[in-house]
Amino acid sequence: MAYYADKDYTIDQAALQAAQEVMQGKLSLHWFDAKTEKIKGKPRDFKRGLTYDDLDIGSYGYSELPENLRHSQSMVARGSEKWGKLPDMGYVVNRKSDVWSDNVTQLYEEDKARRWVPAIDVPWASLEQTPLAHPMQSAIAQLYTLLQECALVSMDFPSRWVPLINQDFLEQKSWLCAQMLGWSRLNEAFRKRALSAGVGLGRASVAAEQGLKEWLWADSFPKGSLSINLSLGGLILAITRQVAAFPPTRADHILMHYAMQDTARQTAYGLGHIRYHLAHRPGEVEAMHAYLDESEHALVGIIASPELLEPLIIISGGGLEKDQVDVGRARVARFLKLAIGEYVERLEAAGLKGRGDRSRIPALIARLEAAA
Amino acid sequence: MAYLSTTNFLEDKDFVDKWLYTMRTGELDLSWMNAATEKLKPHEANPRRGLTYRDLDLGSYGFSDVPEKVRSNRSYAPRGAEIPEGVPDSQPWVSRKSEMWAFNTESYYEEAVSRQWNATTDIPWAHLEGAELPEATGKALSQLMTFLTEVEMIATDSPAMWLPRLNPEFIEVKAFIAAQAMDEARHTEVFRKRALTTGWGLMKASPMNEMALKHLRDADSFSEMSVALHLVGEGNVLTLFRFSEFLSPTDVDKKIFRLVMQDEARHVGYGMQHFKYVLENFPEKREVLHAHLDEAENISFAGSAATELTEAFIILSGGGLKRENIEEGIKVTTRFQMKQMQEHFERLEKCGMPERKNRSKLYQMFESGKAAAEAAGLKL
Repeated sequence: MAYYADKDYTIDQAALQAAQEVMQGKLSLHWFDAKTEKIKGKPRDFKRGLTYDDLDIGSYGYSELPENLRHSQSMVARGSEKWGKLPDMGYVVNRKSDVWSDNVTQLYEEDKARRWVPAIDVPWASLEQTPLAHPMQSAIAQLYTLLQECALVSMDFPSRWVPLINQDFLEQKSWLCAQMLGWSRLNEAFRKRALSAGVGLGRASVAAEQGLKEWLWADSFPKGSLSINLSLGGLILAITRQVAAFPPTRADHILMHYAMQDTARQTAYGLGHIRYHLAHRPGEVEAMHAYLDESEHALVGIIASPELLEPLIIISGGGLEKDQVDVGRARVARFLKLAIGEYVERLEAAGLKGRGDRSRIPALIARLEAAA
Repeated sequence: MAYLSTTNFLEDKDFVDKWLYTMRTGELDLSWMNAATEKLKPHEANPRRGLTYRDLDLGSYGFSDVPEKVRSNRSYAPRGAEIPEGVPDSQPWVSRKSEMWAFNTESYYEEAVSRQWNATTDIPWAHLEGAELPEATGKALSQLMTFLTEVEMIATDSPAMWLPRLNPEFIEVKAFIAAQAMDEARHTEVFRKRALTTGWGLMKASPMNEMALKHLRDADSFSEMSVALHLVGEGNVLTLFRFSEFLSPTDVDKKIFRLVMQDEARHVGYGMQHFKYVLENFPEKREVLHAHLDEAENISFAGSAATELTEAFIILSGGGLKRENIEEGIKVTTRFQMKQMQEHFERLEKCGMPERKNRSKLYQMFESGKAAAEAAGLKL
């Protein structure tokens, strides 16, 4: 077993005696005058409810969190009195600038408020009334197969880090948990849509999966967040927008609108987080550039994979006839230009000045646009 | 970097040229259209319930046909997709069905998604305006909430830690675990919010409980984590929530406990079904789980010795600090503790481990506690 409690409480006489005494009415009340700040939080706006922002007060708030957490490694709730022997949870992410984003509390609140249920909020039955040609069915099944691969990795990413991030960053950890459920929901919706096309799932993508694994396995939270939240989140946001713009069915239109909401939040956190990280750690700017130099090839692995590119052309053009493919590739060329343009803009806005010039992807997109 | 893709796609000329060629000519490869996958179409069994994971339990896509040992997929490919050569290994730790599966997992997940609630808006916080509690009750409530915030923290970390270790073939289990992590984050949130609206702030940490509870996370296998978290930890907490709802000093507290109970019952339900499944399908694991329970039940002993929690519960149960309050509080707390232990052993028995009683020190404590309570004239 990896962990044993500090004592075997089943035979610890002091513990057994303490338990007995209290049940005999001998109360110690040692907790009654806890040395903690006495506050009474309340909603600033009762219509909006009681938010985490309303409780950003004194020692309980997140504003006063120091950059380095040197004295919190246990499960103790931030602001409560620590005493006695507390466990060390082995957290390895203990710097605020490694996780924080100024919008994280709002994103968490928004996530909860905009919950949806794939089983019933997508009009699955309407698909019966919208028969599609075989190429379109196949394209839908393939696109949503690839999106499941992306969703799975996006769900694994926050899960990998939650148990490693210090509990004092509880609002950020809560947001990561919301992300986990959000991606689980999207994975579910993508799977249901892929199978509803009636032609089974498509083919997994070697190029996309190789790229996704490199991003998922980044060796620090900020690097992983840059890749998964900002780069991948931004790309999926662009894909959902593209499909919503040329939806094969009403169900796709609705599904992609929900997906857009969720991925927009992920991207907003990614941008806010990297901006905060670099603003507080300017020395990391070059390291982040170097990481991108090494890893942004993964983005090309995803967007250029035939398992994404080709179904997207068919869906954007409305079919597999030559004129439809021509329309589709023109639309996909615009989509790629827009997606990469936004990607670079976000990186620059996050504090990676000059990224557009340093990245090799925009030049590739220019060649591709000319080719299309 | 911890993993490097087998290809640098920016430097793979063939890959990039093919991309450019496709975009220039519109000549699509389309080999993915011939994916060797099963062709079928799911339908909603019940339109009012929508399209559920259970409706997708068909052929190679379903969960029913997943074998006990998953050898065919270790990548990020969704179950049933064609898996070409060259996909990476996602490095799952758990690829054996009986080590994570539970009857009804997919329904627990669907229920979790449809019953998400919002600690910000679904609790009538406005009702706390002008609702001042007496000092003893207010502090006791805040102390209870402080403890529950600690508990929910470990209950968040534990499922999150295991989720990426589960083979992606078991997508319904991963989905349920993701939903659980969100449930626990919401519980942390609601208990923290309630503590900070009492006027007393948070109170004291509970070191003995924390030392024991760390065991929930650091298990050697998912099944061991699950029996400790879902059955021992959350089983105990479910009883605590039920009593706390009964004792709640305000309608706000009642609402909180009713909502968290829904979620907790779901987690315990999954835990029971999984425990039953692993005992039936992986009998060699029985002794390992017994050994893990020996240590997990230590949590219950630590809990009763953590006076900052028991005392707060007594005061809440009795309604104050006067002698008669304390006497009444002790009676209620005794009933609560007995109920907690009784339900724990009932659950284990229902899951197929009736012999646990013969081995458990906690059961000995239950028997002696019950005898003492009955001798003192306390009706349990």
